[in-house]
Amino acid sequence: MNALDPAPIFEITLRTLAVCAPALLIALVIGLPIGIELGRRRFVGRGFAVSIVNAGMGTPPVVVGLAAALLLWRSGPLGGLGLMYTQIAMVIVQVAIALPFIVAITLASVGALDENWELQIRTLGIPTRWRLWLLLREIRLGLAAAVIAALGGILSEVGAVLMVGGNLEGETRVFTTSILMHTQMGEYETASALAILLLGLTLLLSALLTVVQQGGRS
Amino acid sequence: MTASLLAVRDLRVRRISKAGSFELFVDALDVRADEVLTVLGPNGAGKSTLLRVLAGLLPAESGTVEKAGDATVTMVFQRPIPFAGTVEHNLRLALLGLRLEPAGVRARVDEGLAHFGISHLAKHRAHTLSGGELRRLALARAFSLRPSVLLLDEPFDDLDNDAREVLSSDLRRVFSTTGVGVVVVTHDLHRALMLADRIAVLTDGRVTQVGARDEMLARPRTIDVARQVGMANLLPARICGASGTAPRAANAGFAEVAPGGRLPVSGDWSPGTPVWLGIRPEHLEQDEDGAGFPLGKAFVRAVVSDGVARYVTLDWNGLELRMHLLAGRLGESTLSVGDPVALRVHEAGVHVMPREE
Repeated sequence: MNALDPAPIFEITLRTLAVCAPALLIALVIGLPIGIELGRRRFVGRGFAVSIVNAGMGTPPVVVGLAAALLLWRSGPLGGLGLMYTQIAMVIVQVAIALPFIVAITLASVGALDENWELQIRTLGIPTRWRLWLLLREIRLGLAAAVIAALGGILSEVGAVLMVGGNLEGETRVFTTSILMHTQMGEYETASALAILLLGLTLLLSALLTVVQQGGRS
Repeated sequence: MTASLLAVRDLRVRRISKAGSFELFVDALDVRADEVLTVLGPNGAGKSTLLRVLAGLLPAESGTVEKAGDATVTMVFQRPIPFAGTVEHNLRLALLGLRLEPAGVRARVDEGLAHFGISHLAKHRAHTLSGGELRRLALARAFSLRPSVLLLDEPFDDLDNDAREVLSSDLRRVFSTTGVGVVVVTHDLHRALMLADRIAVLTDGRVTQVGARDEMLARPRTIDVARQVGMANLLPARICGASGTAPRAANAGFAEVAPGGRLPVSGDWSPGTPVWLGIRPEHLEQDEDGAGFPLGKAFVRAVVSDGVARYVTLDWNGLELRMHLLAGRLGESTLSVGDPVALRVHEAGVHVMPREE
């Protein structure tokens, strides 16, 4: 690939987004309810659950990738699904990487609300169907922070997606795996071009989310 | 008597927290329209728990809290909880459940803001408001729902004196114009008495007395209630006869307070009965030749003045008495520590309560 050839770069950009976007969406769908419940409820074992979530944020992605590879490998428990070296496998590991960020930051945001927030909503007679919307509205700064953190984590991730995606050209090659490959091949010019593009993409998305976040603050 | 909007009967509530378990018992308590019921009690007596039960936020273990017809109940918490967005938006969010037409929403919002003098803050972000403004926002938001019953938990908390003054006056005006039934929990006895039509005193999770404000101020049943309603002079005493030898003191007897100290008492008390005598500080008078019963000399231990009243601590036969004098009354400029004072008290100002030995 030529460093300035736009076609494969465009393809890699699209594929990166095609993997990261659903992974982020799935992590939000799973992580938000868990974060909200952990943030608002007090129960036996909550402290343990929160510490697991916090530990999840610090887990090396390559460990997540190894666990996923062991599960998805042909002879693994989920080998029959034939997901190894597919984009679905990459989405799975990225969900696992993004999930702790979404849960942890959501639960912290919910936990920071006034202890009587929910009771106030109830005594004002606000219907149940509006309550979740109001809650998300209240924690939207934290929510934006969670999305920024999760997106940063999965866009920059290389080890895990390489282990389960395999960096197959035209199928599972994304920015990070491509940069790694070109670096190993000594094609520093191409690797640098891709790195700049990835950095630009990350900065652009983070800037957009920050604008949304700070707009909510004013 | 106005019909009850909320009627509490044989209520028992148990709360278990890290600090331990707490039980609230209420035999009977009514919240009525166009009336302010103030709940007084020491910390931990169960005042906030009672409000939460009335609001339907805490389940009762037994007993009932019955609502009249379609009565609605709204509560404003001790710490105002604004929603993100403007002041106006906060009121609009509260009205979500009422499914009003836009014009109806507009009218409610304008009315709520006007009630509490924050119309000029309508477009301000709620999170930028001061503590006093936030409290007004929380009240306006609750009032925009036009509830039948409004529950206020410490509405004057964290406000300076001026803000308390203005808010209590605004609350009184809004209560009387809207006819809402109100339950107020507050530590501020002065504001509580300004707002209250009736007072309920909670002690150790039990409602010990409920009654009209003036009745509660003059005739508390126990010294716990007396303390809560500001009857600061509580003297252990024993009934003696009208002349010291009569077999019974009926409506014209005396009680021996301390060696050499006697006070007139009314009521049907047998001689020898141990009692508490309660005298409100404002019922003691410093007057050589007044109409009240002379108590003899007392000596000034301390004088504190806030410019409106002077709060005098006296030594009377070794017992401590407190006397409140409005500024401008007798001896204003001369009273100082160590001075002798000729004390008087009207017989009606001496309240007798049973005392166990």
